[in-house]
Amino acid sequence: MGGRLALKLGASKSMTEFEKVEYKPVPIRELLTEMKDISELMIDLAYSAALFHSKELAEEVLELESYIDNLVYLLNMNAMLAARDAEDAEALLSVTAVASAADKISDAAADMAAIVLKDIGVHPLIRQAFQKVEEHLTRVKVEPNSFFVDKTVGELKLAPTIGVDIIAIRRGRKWIIDPEDEEIIREGDVLIARGAGAGIEEFEEAAEGKIEKLEEE
Amino acid sequence: MTIPKKISEQLVKKLVELKDTSELMLDLAYSALLLNSKELAEEVEELEEHVDDLHTEFELLALRSGFSPKESKDFLGLIRLGVVTEAIADAAAQIAEVVLRGIKPHPILKMVIEEADETVTRVQIAENSPLAGKTLREAEIPEKTGMWVLVIRRGNKWIRPKPNTKIQAGDIIIASGYAEGEEDLTKLATAKADGNLSSTAKNSYS
Repeated sequence: MGGRLALKLGASKSMTEFEKVEYKPVPIRELLTEMKDISELMIDLAYSAALFHSKELAEEVLELESYIDNLVYLLNMNAMLAARDAEDAEALLSVTAVASAADKISDAAADMAAIVLKDIGVHPLIRQAFQKVEEHLTRVKVEPNSFFVDKTVGELKLAPTIGVDIIAIRRGRKWIIDPEDEEIIREGDVLIARGAGAGIEEFEEAAEGKIEKLEEE
Repeated sequence: MTIPKKISEQLVKKLVELKDTSELMLDLAYSALLLNSKELAEEVEELEEHVDDLHTEFELLALRSGFSPKESKDFLGLIRLGVVTEAIADAAAQIAEVVLRGIKPHPILKMVIEEADETVTRVQIAENSPLAGKTLREAEIPEKTGMWVLVIRRGNKWIRPKPNTKIQAGDIIIASGYAEGEEDLTKLATAKADGNLSSTAKNSYS
């Protein structure tokens, strides 16, 4: 799971006012990795917000969108300064093109989140469609007898064993988006995860305390 | 739901295809960059046209479905969702365009794609690989490695994977997934697997 750059950058969490754009030297690779990860995450978070009727999750998507906007500015400035000659400029074009694609994806996710926030409505057909797509999304509550309780996200090794990725955790009123490997799962946490069909089913059963472990060693 | 069953089934079918195709395109576009492959980039461009058509059909179908004024908000949500998938497809095409225009992908991109949570990898199937001769369903690659097969290259042809696609020795498999699965897939493809994959998933549990 990607380490969030947000703290390092001091990115604004405000949705209503624009933050002043200020140059900071950040490696282009870090910025682009973050943009790619977060924009893809946003899509699934936005779909989840729609499927599970969560305005809070939709708001998180909008915050991530303004975070991505800041990253785009930073990336462009760093790319401009990295070019010493025409050859460099040409080479860096591929980087800015990909960054702009990631920005486009994050905008699309934000549009989806806006649907949820404006009560535009999620047609029952959407739910039907989401049961048939390749990548499934789920929301499941961690029961007291689940072996997930008091384990860190990293310890569970969900991605390598069953191809499932926890994209958000709701703990009471608090949301943890894209939890770090070190994050400890608590009883009563609501987990939002993505993955292929069979893996997702196993994940749900594990969170509900119906199975003891994910795989045979 | 007041709309005819036939139309609603079609809407669901098209939405599923829109979502799956747009996400496949994004994976393919990153693979195209990583491998600097014009063929793969062209595949993305072709899928983009397909998605455009599909999206138009989807919107027309939604508008023609005869929903009641009360349902209009729900239908707006449905249409907007289609717009989101189309935007993702456009973004994928934009990435593929970098390759098609002959812009050499910057080395940074390779690092980004390989370092990000989800990675794209290519492996060639060896003669004695346990995968050779199996269909994708039998091969259980996602179950065994956590990697998704995106596309198969056989000679000059790109094959889009279906459950009954048979894997042949010499095939190049391009797969995406978490970095952890990459090593397992390489082992399977190069026949070094001896049943001790680090992430062999159970098929059933009691």
